[in-house]
Amino acid sequence: MKGYGLLRLLNLIILWVGLGVLYLEGRANQQILWQAGVFSALLLLGLVVEKITAYQGDPLLLATVHMIMTIGLVFLTRIRAASAMRQFWWASMGLCVFYLVVFVLKDYRKLGRYQYLWGLVAVATLFLTLLFGVTTSGATSWFSIGGFNFEPEELVKIALLFFLASYLSEHEEILRVGTVQVGWLSLPDWRTLGPFLIMSGFSLGLLAAQKSLGTALVFYSLFVLMLFVVTERPFYLGVSLPVLGVTGYLGYVLFGHVRVRVATWLNPWIDSSGDGYQIAQSLFAISGGKILGTGLGNGIGAFQVPAASTDFIFSVIAEEIGFAGAMAVLLLFLIVVLRAFRVSLRAIDRFGQILAAGIGILIGTETLIILAGVTKLLPLTGIPLPWVSYGGSSLLVHFFLLGILANISQVSAAGPFSLKNKVRGYAG
Amino acid sequence: MKKGLRYIALGFSISFIFLSFGLVYWQVVRSDALLNNPANRRLILMEQRVDRGGIFDRNGEILAQTQTTNNQKKRVYPKGEVLEPLLGYATLQHGSAGMEANFGDWLLGIKQATPTQEIEQLFQLPRQGNDVVLTLDYRLQKVAYEGLKGKMGAAVALDPRTGEILALVSQPGFDPNSLDQNWAELSKRSGSPFVNRAFALYPPGSTMKVITSAAIFRSGVNTGDLYNCTGSTVINGQVISEQNDKAHGWVNYDTALADSCNTYFATFGVQSGDQQFLNAVKGFGFGQTIPFELPVSLSQITNQARVPKQLNTNLLAASTFGQGEVLISPFHMALVAAGIANHGVIMTPHIVNQVIDDKQNVLYKTSPKSWLTALSTEEAAKIKNAMVAAVNDGTASPGGISGIQVAAKTGSAEPGGNDKTHAWYIAFAPAEAPQIAVAVMVEHGGTGGGAAAPIARDIIQTALNEKVGESK
Repeated sequence: MKGYGLLRLLNLIILWVGLGVLYLEGRANQQILWQAGVFSALLLLGLVVEKITAYQGDPLLLATVHMIMTIGLVFLTRIRAASAMRQFWWASMGLCVFYLVVFVLKDYRKLGRYQYLWGLVAVATLFLTLLFGVTTSGATSWFSIGGFNFEPEELVKIALLFFLASYLSEHEEILRVGTVQVGWLSLPDWRTLGPFLIMSGFSLGLLAAQKSLGTALVFYSLFVLMLFVVTERPFYLGVSLPVLGVTGYLGYVLFGHVRVRVATWLNPWIDSSGDGYQIAQSLFAISGGKILGTGLGNGIGAFQVPAASTDFIFSVIAEEIGFAGAMAVLLLFLIVVLRAFRVSLRAIDRFGQILAAGIGILIGTETLIILAGVTKLLPLTGIPLPWVSYGGSSLLVHFFLLGILANISQVSAAGPFSLKNKVRGYAG
Repeated sequence: MKKGLRYIALGFSISFIFLSFGLVYWQVVRSDALLNNPANRRLILMEQRVDRGGIFDRNGEILAQTQTTNNQKKRVYPKGEVLEPLLGYATLQHGSAGMEANFGDWLLGIKQATPTQEIEQLFQLPRQGNDVVLTLDYRLQKVAYEGLKGKMGAAVALDPRTGEILALVSQPGFDPNSLDQNWAELSKRSGSPFVNRAFALYPPGSTMKVITSAAIFRSGVNTGDLYNCTGSTVINGQVISEQNDKAHGWVNYDTALADSCNTYFATFGVQSGDQQFLNAVKGFGFGQTIPFELPVSLSQITNQARVPKQLNTNLLAASTFGQGEVLISPFHMALVAAGIANHGVIMTPHIVNQVIDDKQNVLYKTSPKSWLTALSTEEAAKIKNAMVAAVNDGTASPGGISGIQVAAKTGSAEPGGNDKTHAWYIAFAPAEAPQIAVAVMVEHGGTGGGAAAPIARDIIQTALNEKVGESK
């Protein structure tokens, strides 16, 4: 732990000061305070359990995610108390998932054995969503079972990560060096590259069919960046950009809603009450924050910006705690990403290394795509901001991934000798 | 794999830096620009947390006020339509306009905020805005309003010595107290009641001759020389005719202005040359932004904002008596009259007397400043004499007041087509020591003497009787 315990307590202070302010403003009710109490108790309990079991996973990673989570909860309370109620519950569940992964699953390598099963799960889930999913705001990305909604896309993230990590660790050499000579290029053979191409093609195609463009973009970046990280061949990056360009252009030509997205991105002011409404309101909120922000509960974004509690939550944060606060949130996410890479560098086996890097890449691209969207640096594609946006599926999945990261770092910190399982692959 | 990871880490770090540039751009660079975007409801929403200050006339009459009953804020305008569209409005539904919009920073306590207001603003606490006290005199405003009611037009009165605006009426207007209910009907109503006609552009007609006079003097024309007006003349192949083709016979400068002889001004104006004329109009502020608290359209000689470098003879001839492409606002025309009254110096016009906070501290106070020196003292005196002649023995006689010497000039501007002429009247009084200058314009009102002069006369009479503009 070494002093990071204090950082964890700081999170509690942020939570309660934030909620206190909102309570005084009459935006938080007693019920939320109770929920927050349970959440805080779980945070403390976790800290105690970590102490007792001499948990050796990356402490900064955990403290940082908790801080992001806390900021998200405070802002959700500010935006919509009813959503915050449920989100506190999800957050508590998320903590449980995290500790289950850390203390019950213990060794992530168990999960690396089912390479093609993971791939199948991913494609099947997406396919089922397309067939039976519920369509909300243009995208068919929800599953509804017995009144309980969840986003399968989020689960697919886990399956894909495991598939990619086990696939890449197995075929690394061939992907890097290549076996077939095409002119001056040395490419991997079809048997090796096939599963990767089929998997990526399938999942992206299904996502496009569901019109989940943001998630498709996240997955595409994940495929390409992970392939690059493992093989270190700039060739793959070089190929991916024109492919993205051509696909994007085709999408622009074929789909009306893509054209609308691009048009409102280029100039949201032309139709700031129609198609450009979302992005214009987002920018009005962000720009109103100036350097120090309007103060918690004082912004207009919370009720002016559509989807303020999900895709656009960062606009509200940037408004109410200003440039200073928004930068802090950016840095927290950057810390999480870089910390995940650090876990990757220290992991003792190839699978763990690739998995940790993949998780870091996933969180990084998700954050970049949605934040660049709300600040008009890229066309807007609505995806949740990890740990911040309202939504149980995203929250649980990201806590699960965090648990895996903690697991990898825990195993590497404990050293190879403490392992019961045979080490798969080798340390780089 | 290490190397690959380093590259990706570097890539992410750079992307995050780009994101932070994006934040700097929106939150610092473009912050104010977006605040003023009409689709941005921030200011209006913020207003709900502020008690908008009141607007008062120079004698403390309440013109606009925010009343709070049972935590419900309501903006009330006790004088109704009399001050509209000058005063404007400020509503949650329809935003703000007029003085309510232009003085919003003062009224909301944003501009030159006191330390208390600064802190309240920082934490968005409920706070009290500032009161704006105008130079306007409600009694005079009311007289001008009564005169213009039912017509389309504008009247502006100011103190030529200080530039203080005493009355500013534009008709048709609207009742600001029932704006939200009547919005749909008002927006469709003919005559657009939301447009402040005092700041809109019209051809000045013969009132332009007071400006042309300066060019004629400066080219060395002897004002005593006689000119034979035969009812029309031909200049450079263009026929210049008098109103109703009336022949004025032998006229000198004074009688030409008093009788509003077009051919005299066209002949000598063209003789003076385009440079002399363009310099004169520039001296009166054509093509310049008038330094006023509210936006006034730029007066123009040709169909472009700036005064041109040259003017062809035909256009020059028409411009000398205010036709051609000459356009000016009633507000600017009042300033022209005030400049002649004030020995050639046009004072910077202002309508805000002072701004006071809720503890009666004066935050801002205007003081008289000169804007332009349009004429020399002698030139101003010559024009004044001719304007006196116009009232005593010329077209401007309907504006005369017994016991007070008024100096005035009429105008009947052809708007183009077969429409009835715009009636103009500019005046100041008393001629020997002017205290008030007035410009009245009635759209399609007919002749200046008939339609506009009586309104100006009432304004001047009230002002001098009530000693408007004298310190309280």
